Amino acid sequence: MSLRSLRKGSIAMPEENDSAFLLDPKRRGLANLDRMARYGTGDQVDLVVVGAGAGGLTLAQRLARKGWRVVILEKGPFWDPDRDWVSDEKGSAHLYWTDKRIVGGADPIELGKNNSGVGVGGSMTHFAGYTPRFHPSDFEVRTRDGVGVDWPFSYQELKPSIERVERELPVAGQDWPWGDPHTYPHAPHPLSGAAAKAWEGARRRGVEMRVGPVSITNGAFGNRPHCIYRGFCLQGCKVNAKASPLITHLPDAIEHGVEVRADSMATRVETAPRGGSVTGVTYVHEGRETFQPAAAVAVCGYAIESPRLLLNSTGKHWPHGLGNAEDQVGRYVMVQGATQVAARFPELLRQYKAPPPEISSEQFYETDESRGFARGFSIQTVGPLPIDWAGHVLAAGHWGPALREYMRDYNHWTVLGTLCELLPYAENRVTLADEVDSVGMPIARFDYRRSENDKANMAYATRVLEEIWEAAGAEEVLTVERYAHLVGGCRMGVEPEESVVDSTQRVWGLDNLYVCDGSVLPTQGAANPALMIMAIADRLAGLLGAKRAG
Amino acid sequence: MTTPQLRGRYPGFDVLAQVEHWDEATRRVVLDRLEKVPPFRFFDERERTVLKSFCDVVTDQHEEPRIPVLAYVDEKLFQGALDGWQYDDMPDDRETWRRVATGLDEAARGEWRAPSFAEAPLDVRADIVGHFAEGKLRGGVWDTMNVSRAWKVVMRAVLSAFYSHPWAWNEIGFGGPAYPRGYAAFGSPYLGSEAESWEAKEA
Repeated sequence: MSLRSLRKGSIAMPEENDSAFLLDPKRRGLANLDRMARYGTGDQVDLVVVGAGAGGLTLAQRLARKGWRVVILEKGPFWDPDRDWVSDEKGSAHLYWTDKRIVGGADPIELGKNNSGVGVGGSMTHFAGYTPRFHPSDFEVRTRDGVGVDWPFSYQELKPSIERVERELPVAGQDWPWGDPHTYPHAPHPLSGAAAKAWEGARRRGVEMRVGPVSITNGAFGNRPHCIYRGFCLQGCKVNAKASPLITHLPDAIEHGVEVRADSMATRVETAPRGGSVTGVTYVHEGRETFQPAAAVAVCGYAIESPRLLLNSTGKHWPHGLGNAEDQVGRYVMVQGATQVAARFPELLRQYKAPPPEISSEQFYETDESRGFARGFSIQTVGPLPIDWAGHVLAAGHWGPALREYMRDYNHWTVLGTLCELLPYAENRVTLADEVDSVGMPIARFDYRRSENDKANMAYATRVLEEIWEAAGAEEVLTVERYAHLVGGCRMGVEPEESVVDSTQRVWGLDNLYVCDGSVLPTQGAANPALMIMAIADRLAGLLGAKRAG
Repeated sequence: MTTPQLRGRYPGFDVLAQVEHWDEATRRVVLDRLEKVPPFRFFDERERTVLKSFCDVVTDQHEEPRIPVLAYVDEKLFQGALDGWQYDDMPDDRETWRRVATGLDEAARGEWRAPSFAEAPLDVRADIVGHFAEGKLRGGVWDTMNVSRAWKVVMRAVLSAFYSHPWAWNEIGFGGPAYPRGYAAFGSPYLGSEAESWEAKEA
């Protein structure tokens, strides 16, 4: 019996990821940074990963354990939570991708803090923490429901990866009755008074809720501290209780020879003379352009930046961008309908306490023909802090004296959100704009438009939320339509005419170029994407062979 | 226990009394808002005059103590700290702010027949702002951009400046930063149900 299996909490500990033990119990920044490998730019590594987020760091950690020499290029900084993160909304703006992007279309999507991260750890540093599984139905929506597209593999094929990642985060929640019923490694977190209000309203409306699932430690887990319920999940968890790959995968990756080059913006993936393979990545660090040669490249920049990088990597054989021979790069980008309904109660609720992600329901996840649209939605609590709450009040039409009065009433309000599955459409697309960024690379443009099915889903979900609050005895509700998450843009498929990567996430027409992030997801379900992005990275690593004794 | 215009529902509550419980990085960021109000480097004097008046109207701040909202907006724009997206029918956020400054004066002198936005009586300024909020301002610079989206751009920065200030937290009874101490009173009646021992009751 190994030493680790004797430690407290050993039942839930992952077997091939020591990250939680490699963290320093006395500080939050990574303890093994001084041991990080340094490769030369004249040295061909086995893999360059572009983007240190959920996909890139998980893939790097897995492959490093199989002997791959990996360099990760990350546009943003290498965070030290003690030094760089604060218990403050406005002071956390540096966690978001705030460089300019152009948005258009009939339903333009706001980017930035809502869905785009930067820096080592990616968007998961400031995601709420919900880590639900996709349902088995998500992998065959074309076959079952006649919409979207089927995945090139099934839920059952991905399930071992999902379970591995759930142990590594680790996920806390009640036994889960929806989709493929399952349990979680950590117990559910305690219920806040605000969440209890939502629970009671849902019960009276006939909606079942469950606590979780959140990737926030609620038990012994190596050197990861327990949650302290301060409510700043969306501002970067200074506690190290909420998972991000910065703490769940990178410490182990560094221990196995991964190098992260922060503040390094990839501008081009370079192609070999014959055009059928890539040779490495050109990037800009401190104003200087550098080329890192690699035997393979994994683009892990998420739904906006991955298409942008491929589209910018033009050449003789790829005049319209790498992997874009069939005009598929950047298409089928999806967001979720994330309307929020706030409710006012006579008693004080102080929704800023406890994790904003508390309870959720997937009762409406699957298609129900009686509702008049395909696919469905989830319901989740959210706990806006003052600036976010002010945005909600403003969006409901209030400013001046009314705004100040609604804000003084902050502690009486609590908020439920929907997560509606909006369907993939070819014209919802990332392209390159005319404007260039500070390193001279064209910025991204994202056009988006909802279908009638999408609108019907959002309208129905909003009514359910309003009914829950009515049943709970709310005195007033404020409804604000919005969107959340980003997936698609380099989707995975079985034919190059309708996808960018094949079922092994390899870009069609290139031997050694992979995409490993949310952009490859063919559909998005009504679930937050983080867990699934990590799971497909785990699957991809399993498909790629070992390099040398690790 | 300062609050903007001394309004608020939590008499005696001063979130700043808890600074010793905050981590150093957070303490620095929050206290700088009180102690180091940034100098104006983005807006010129004309823009400052009209936009200060605009910020007073939209945040209902017509007397001291005021949260110096425009100073923080100026700092953000001077630093080029954008929000990460720009609508295709809008200019850069920094340009949007300048056009709004011009447009408010144009509206005041035009349809509302005032000498300027800042010199107009409060009810006139509120009426102009009401039209702005509803996307109904027309003519001059207002025809060069989507007015509803311009409202969202400027209000996003205004609200972020106002509700990041500890005086506003005192006003609304927000417990503020809670690292490393954490919160415990959020559900159990035995722990005070919803208020920590140091959080004030609502008046």
